[in-house]
Order: sequence, then C-alpha cells, then structure tokens
Amino acid sequence: MKAPAASTRIAEYALAIDTSAGTTVAVLSMGTVLAELNYLEPMTHSERIGSAIQKVLKDSGIQAKQIATVVVGVGPGPFTGLRVGMAAARYFAIGARAELAGVCSLDSIALDFYLANPGQQPLLVTTDARRKEVFWATYSGVVDGIPVRTQGPAVNKYEDIQTFVDVSTMATTELGVRAGALGQIAFAQGLSPQGTNSEITPIYLREPDAVPSKGKKVSG
Amino acid sequence: MAIVIREASGLDLPQIMKLEIASFANDAWPEATFHSELDAPHTYYILALEDEDLVGYAGLSKLAGSDQADIQTIAVREDKRGLGIGRQLMDALTLEAKTRGAKEIFLEVRADNSVAQKLYKVFGFKQIGTRKKYYQPDGVDAFIMKTDIKRKYNSEPVVLGIETSCDETGVGIVRGNQLLANIISSSMDKHAIFGGVVPEIAARAHLEALTPVLNEALEKANLTLDEIDAIAVTNGPGLAGALMVGVGAAKALAVATGKPIYAVNHLVGHVGADILDRGELHTPTIALLVSGGHTSLLLVRDLLNDVVLLGETIDDAAGEAFDKVSRVLGLSYPGGPEIDRVAKDANPAAIRFPRGLTLPKDMEKHRYDFSFSGLKTAVARHVELAESKGEEISIGDVAASFREAVVDVLIKKAISACKDFDVPRLLLGGGVVANSRLREVAKEQCEANGIELRIPPFSLCTDNGAMIAAIGAQLIMAGRAPSSLNFSAESTLPVTIVQS
Repeated sequence: MKAPAASTRIAEYALAIDTSAGTTVAVLSMGTVLAELNYLEPMTHSERIGSAIQKVLKDSGIQAKQIATVVVGVGPGPFTGLRVGMAAARYFAIGARAELAGVCSLDSIALDFYLANPGQQPLLVTTDARRKEVFWATYSGVVDGIPVRTQGPAVNKYEDIQTFVDVSTMATTELGVRAGALGQIAFAQGLSPQGTNSEITPIYLREPDAVPSKGKKVSG
Repeated sequence: MAIVIREASGLDLPQIMKLEIASFANDAWPEATFHSELDAPHTYYILALEDEDLVGYAGLSKLAGSDQADIQTIAVREDKRGLGIGRQLMDALTLEAKTRGAKEIFLEVRADNSVAQKLYKVFGFKQIGTRKKYYQPDGVDAFIMKTDIKRKYNSEPVVLGIETSCDETGVGIVRGNQLLANIISSSMDKHAIFGGVVPEIAARAHLEALTPVLNEALEKANLTLDEIDAIAVTNGPGLAGALMVGVGAAKALAVATGKPIYAVNHLVGHVGADILDRGELHTPTIALLVSGGHTSLLLVRDLLNDVVLLGETIDDAAGEAFDKVSRVLGLSYPGGPEIDRVAKDANPAAIRFPRGLTLPKDMEKHRYDFSFSGLKTAVARHVELAESKGEEISIGDVAASFREAVVDVLIKKAISACKDFDVPRLLLGGGVVANSRLREVAKEQCEANGIELRIPPFSLCTDNGAMIAAIGAQLIMAGRAPSSLNFSAESTLPVTIVQS
C-alpha cells in the first residue's frame, strides 16, 4: 500500500538535522522539542548521523514515516561536515516522503541567545570557519519566534567584521548550533519548504580551493 | 597468499596444538581433548592453510537428530588476522551446519574478546545470555550467542546501491544478479579546467546530483522505495569528502525507510560488476582495475571471502597519467579519449618510453605494482627537449608511444598474474577500460595465452551504483547480517574488507 503523500499529512512532526559544526539532531512536534541529541566533535558526522537520527526517533517515540518535514541547517560551516547533514536530510526526506526546509545554521544560535536574553538588542554571531576566519551574521532581535538577521551570513577575518558593523555595540555569545532551535525557527516560519528537495542548498560562502591548470610543464 | 580450507585429521594435531596454545594460552584445550574432538563423528574441524602453513582452524559440533549446532572453537594466527580468514572459516562451518540439518548455531565467546564478537555479529549471531566466570583461571564471563540459519534467500533481494567515491554520483538497483537500473551523474566537465578531479568540486556535485539520480533510478527500475529490500553504499576506498556524501545519504535513507544497510568496498564492487553482465561471476579470476583513481591488480578466488590485492600503483593512477600527458600535448581533459583519438594511425614504436617497474630487480620487489610517474615525466622531457631545439614533434606518435607504454605494462603484469596463480581468467574494470588500445592488447594477449577475457559494458566499468548494489545482493544471499549504522567512510579501505 502506498503511503499518503506528504501534503495530505498533518504537518505535526519534524526532524531537524545540522552538521555545520558538530552533529545535532532533534524531533519536534508543532515546534516543541521531543528529543534532541548534540555531539560536539567536528569530525565524526558521517559516522554519527545514522544512529543519531535513529536514536532521536526512538527517544521521541515517533516513527520515520510520521515525519512530515525535515528541517536542515544549511550552514555556513566547514563544507565536508555540512554536506553530510544536507545529504542525510535529502535522503531522509525522500525515504519518509517528507518536505525539506532549510534554515541558516547561525539563526539557531541567535534564537537561543534571545530566549536566554529577552529584548531587542544587537547581536553578533560567529562560528569557526578555519583558516583564521569566522562565519558571521548580525541580528536585531526575535519577531514571532524568528531571529531577524540584519547582516550576513558572511565569512571574514574576525578583525575585519568591524568594517561592516560596529562590533563594540553588539552582544556576542558562546552558544552553538542546536537542531531543536532550527526546528523551532522552521515551525515559526510555517514549515513552508522554500523549494523542492534539490533546491535547498548549502551556504558555502567560499569557492572550492582549486587553481585552473596553468599549462603543460610537468617535468623539471 | 591464497588460503585453502580443508577438513582436519589426526595428522594435523601437532600443528593445531601449536596454534591452540599460542591463541588461547590459559584456555587452551589439552592435546587429548582435541584429539577426541577431531575423531568424533558429530564434529567437523577445518583448517585454513597458506602454502601448507596452518594459519587458522575452526570446529563445529552437531549431534545427530538435534537441530542445533555449536561452534566449538575458531582461531586465526595473530599475524593473519583482519584478512578475512575468520570469515572464510565461519562461512564453511555455517554451510556444514546447514548441510547437517541444523536450524540454529550456538557459541560461547569470552566477554573480553570484542574482535571475535564482531566477527560473529557479521554472521547474524546475537547475545542471548552470559555464563559467569566461565573461563578459568582468568575468571572471565562467557557470552552465549546464537544465530538462526537462513535458508538461502528465498527470493532475489532488490538492492539499491549508492556510489560517491570519486567524481561519479551513481545510484543503481539490482534484483539478485540482475540489473534493473544504473544511473550515473558525472562531474567530469567541472574538473576539466583544472586538468584533474578537484575533491571539493566533486563533493559539491555529489550533493547536487543525489536527489535527481535516486529519483531517476527508481523510475528506470519502475519501483518505489517500499519495494527495495536493502540499501548498499560505497564506504571506501575513495575521496573522503566525496564518500561522506553517499554514506550520510544512505544511512538516513536506511533509517527513514527501515531498510537494512550494507557498507561495501568500492574495488570489490568493480569485480562484482561482471555479475550484472553475465548473471554470475566466474572465479577464480584476476581483476585489473584501471581508472583515474586506481590501478590495482586483484586475485579473486571468492568474491565475498577471498579477494587479495596483488599490487597497485605506487604513484599516479593510469588514468591520471593519461590526463597529465594529455595536458603536456596541449590536449583536453579527460586525457584518455583525447590520447586515443590522436594516437589513432600513429606509430606506437616511434619513441621507446620507459616501462615502470619492469626491470628484473623491480619485478622481484614490485612484481604486480605499477608506476606511471616516471613515464609521464619522460614524455614531458621529450616534448620540452624537442621544443627547445625548435624541432617539430608528432603529437600522434608521442601519444601512441605513451599509450603503448602504459598498456604494455598493464597487460604484461596482468597476464603474469594469471600465469603465476594458474588463473585462466582476466576481468577488466575502471574507466580506462574505454581505451581502445588497452582492449585490443588485452584481447590479443589473452587469446595467445588461453585466458578468458571479461570486459563488462562501459557503464558498468566506470564508477556506478549498480555494482555496489550487486555486492549488497550477494552479501544478503550469502546470509550476511547488515552493517551497523556506525560505519565510517574509509578513504584507504583495504580490498580484503568487502563489507564494513
């Protein structure tokens, strides 16, 4: 028997996945986190991702086929890790016949900051981009459960961010990306997919490191 | 190198006892016990021998009239562990237990022996109890494990295979030994201006191609995901960042659909491709796998249990050499077809380029290894020298002579392997198989030496998901348990590990 198409299901349950830093996954019901798992290590995404999803489903008592929306953190973040979560989200969505929604990973940090520090105050969120650079974005507060991004995401040396915004007036935070927060933002946005499965793409911000072939000299 | 399994007799006892004492120390059986075990009618003991040297043994007990069998013991010599010998022994015991009418197999294993437990799990054993302090004098607990003997898979499993180890995103679907779909999306064009595969560009392209390639494969096979029995995925060897895209996707698909997952070795997949072409794999066979990423010579006695890497390139892969020389000659990427094109009707004997690792001293140490780095440099020097003297070169002759040097070494070494191991079969795989001269020389040389040549269709020779699905199906039909969800992408996965 064929499962019903996603559009005929009540969009109650969501699975959120982010591998832009560590590996974080969560199951949510109408924007409330039922189960969440956060691994901080930055290198074990492809090992962790399968059993992490399996565990949050089990912990929440929700079956894969009940998931109506897969929310994925689209970065920015180190590429190799980021792609593992994006790839997993795509194929989970196909396998569970769910919609796919993308949320900027940095937004989840902003949401958690404003939940802990209510009020409309300027915030600078940064994460490690390696090569002595940071991924960053600025926010002005939260409106209807959605962080309001004012600049970014972008990648720069930390000291160069000053040329774009007045860093001295902004709060900063040590919080990390959390799948539960991504799921909450997506719910606040109405869980509306911004495109088909293939159209939710990562925010890379950098071109691949490769120099076009100069010519033919290979000896000497 | 080649492992032979045969039944043990009393005459083997001295050799066995040496390994028994080395392997089990405090738990070793006395010689008299082992002797009566070997003699008993309800037991079956087998040896693993390498050139007559004992490298492992195992024993099974099955009382007449009972439908339960017990694994009595299994040992593999310390320096030979991790090569699949344990699996071969287990396969033989499982088959015997089945033949003797057992429905379940039991065993006990030391609680602190996680390596053995892992092997048993591969064969579907699950822990069903513990015997406290069973092993004395060490006072270590025994885990009791059990597996149900599967009848040979009663229908042919439908397996979906995912491949992302280099620059091809492949999803294939098979039913048993039969090909249902083989969809490939290549990022080759995106690498052209760089003259070779750029890992980050390949990985980005995999992510882009995942969804359309899966949808197209299901459509081609006219199946829904509900009709798939299992998922297989390449977990190595290959480019780490590229492998991880497929591994992450496959695991999530397995969890979402509740299907078992099999982590499969890419190189063994190339060998398995022949199953899809002719419906079965004939073994033993020598396999020569030549692509932009690999140049490997394998001895395959059994696809799932006995694949040995005889040799591989110690520097550039053959396909890489074609790309680099193509650039030297001002031709485009990928180099193989370009070299083929300009070499047509040119003189392959015009320039005698070096044949890597073929000198007598190299043939001792690197009999089945390859090297193309020196050849590539020799071609570049030849061209640069001619240019500096203002001489006109014939690109066709240089290309033909270079191609001849590559093909010559590849086929000579492959034919040597066939003769050395008395294997009357050669299987070619990998993208370089498209090279017309390689096919021509392989055909000539195989005919001259009475060797059967197998070249699957090109779409099964290049990297593809169907060959990975084929290995997944073989594993299922052999009764192998699925992989755990925690396997990793292994860029240097050895060919002896067929399933992770």
